[in-house]
Amino acid sequence: MRHTLLQRGLLGMLMGGLLVGTAQARTLETAYGNVEVVDHPERVVTLYEGALDAALAAGVTPVGAVTTRGGDNVAEYVTDYLSAKELEHPEIVGVVREINIEAVLAQQPDLILAAAQLPEEQYQLLSQIAPTVVPHTQPLAADNWEAEARLFGQALNREEAIEEAISAVDQRVDAMAEAVAKAEVGENAYLVRWMPGGPMVMSENLIATGLLERVGLDVQGGELIGERGVHSDVLSLENLSQVDGDWLFLATLNDDGQAALDSAKQSPAFNRLNVVQNERVVPVNGQLWSSANGPLAAQAILDDIENALLP
Amino acid sequence: MLLTKAGSSARWRCSSRHWMLILLTALVAVSVVSLLIGAGSVGPRQVLGLLSGSDHAEARFIVWELRAPRTLIGIAVGVALGVAGALLQAVSRNPLAEPGLLGVSAGAAFAVSLALVLGASAATLRIPVAQLGALIGCVCVLSVARLRGVGSDPVRLVLAGAAFSGLLGSLSALMLLYDQRAADEIRFWVVGSLAGRRLDDLWAVLPSLLVAGAGVVLFARPLAALSLGERAASGLGHRPGLIRWLAVGCVALLVGAATAIAGPIAFVGLVVPFVARAIAGPDIRRTLWFCLPIGPLIVLTADIISRVVVAPSELPLGVLTALCGAPVLIAVVRAKRLPML
Repeated sequence: MRHTLLQRGLLGMLMGGLLVGTAQARTLETAYGNVEVVDHPERVVTLYEGALDAALAAGVTPVGAVTTRGGDNVAEYVTDYLSAKELEHPEIVGVVREINIEAVLAQQPDLILAAAQLPEEQYQLLSQIAPTVVPHTQPLAADNWEAEARLFGQALNREEAIEEAISAVDQRVDAMAEAVAKAEVGENAYLVRWMPGGPMVMSENLIATGLLERVGLDVQGGELIGERGVHSDVLSLENLSQVDGDWLFLATLNDDGQAALDSAKQSPAFNRLNVVQNERVVPVNGQLWSSANGPLAAQAILDDIENALLP
Repeated sequence: MLLTKAGSSARWRCSSRHWMLILLTALVAVSVVSLLIGAGSVGPRQVLGLLSGSDHAEARFIVWELRAPRTLIGIAVGVALGVAGALLQAVSRNPLAEPGLLGVSAGAAFAVSLALVLGASAATLRIPVAQLGALIGCVCVLSVARLRGVGSDPVRLVLAGAAFSGLLGSLSALMLLYDQRAADEIRFWVVGSLAGRRLDDLWAVLPSLLVAGAGVVLFARPLAALSLGERAASGLGHRPGLIRWLAVGCVALLVGAATAIAGPIAFVGLVVPFVARAIAGPDIRRTLWFCLPIGPLIVLTADIISRVVVAPSELPLGVLTALCGAPVLIAVVRAKRLPML
């Protein structure tokens, strides 16, 4: 009898200790269950471009981040933002598909923000380093970034800043949609990535194409892409007329979008498209348009759209 | 006795002429099909409509600007790879020697990738670079072939070539890591294709194809003598070393040119001489003649298939030739006895 009393007492003390602990931390619902995060994370590592973007939008500069797709640094719009605000540039801790766990450890993070696609084995490793927040996987959709940014905002304890950033995007989209409707610049658009053999049509479920839709352009080409695909296979040059709309946004991973456009123009099949003849091909940065996401990326994409449609 | 021999020779010649006629007819037919069929919506009906005076701008453009250049380039690539394969097999006296398998194409592709990473992009620079790479690849592989133990076993030479190709492939991958932005352009050099090539490219490589062709005509006879063995060839007044180097030079010109316009396309150089020998017999001179129609026939057929299987996209030609060629290689190796050349 005394024995059980002692046990209960110990258990009670333990529970009490836990309660005190939770008072200082917050619990988040993530793809890998509930995760406790500290109240004011100071050393944040982001393993996902959307997480880096959301953290910056929330006013937190991560100490470590992964590179953008096809690059050896974070996306250009991020470095521009960091330089403009005179913020410290994050250390590179790998690429999205190949995270350098040792580099993450070296940053001694107190919070890790990762992509929904983070594999379980990596999660197990990372969560031993610091609380790791992984959003629930969703089917590809143009507005996924909003829910993800909100989760990251919660993790950073800066929900309000994220809400403000998202509603700033909403307001700008609405204003631009009105202006675009007035300007009567056309109805539809394609977003493609130009490869030497032909174009790959990008999904209408990306943040960039979603924003194009919201400002009033009908983004087409969805039937060329499989259900879960981000882009189509490289389209045969014989089928270029299938991407001949009112606008053609040409995403390129090269430094110089104009150079990519020039190289595409060497192809007679490209040159004869109406959209090319009408000079409505817009070279855009592929890092931003086909890889990045988050509230800052949305603003940068809207800048591009504004420059093209509403000069 | 003499009469029967003459008779059989005449019959052989006759059937050989028949074969040539059949092959040429087939080549014309495949070329026409290549103009009629593509990954796009323009099919035979619209193309034939052009002949009867229809004014279908889309069809006219697709036939004349996309399919016609592609067909001509396919013919040139087929001739180049087929002849190069036959030459390489004769020189190495190995029926499995193939520019793609032995790393000659990989050498050309690697040289071009290197040039691209170092900043070259002019189309004119590409061809000599590819030919230089092919030449270095040729020399490397043939010196391996002369090592003790490798030369006596045809399969070992292929293994050496596979190792060499693997090495070059990993170096190319290294360059991809080094410069990810060149990746899109280099990817083309990893798997060959005829899509989107322009006639300008063909005109640029035509001189080297002609030089190589003239060379082949000049030394086809000594090359045939070489198949009797080096001593016999020397006895007939030829210089085996010189012939061998000339042939290697021609292989490099041909494979470099083909790779510069279409990227690396494997197995064509294996299958074409294999079929040609089956028709023409062991004489290299006759084999070379038959390579001329068979090479384009195989490349164009593969290209047509590559356009229609995954429409509206296209399968890279190099993938398709590898899919179809690999079983042929296995069949040749597993056949009880490899023909000795």
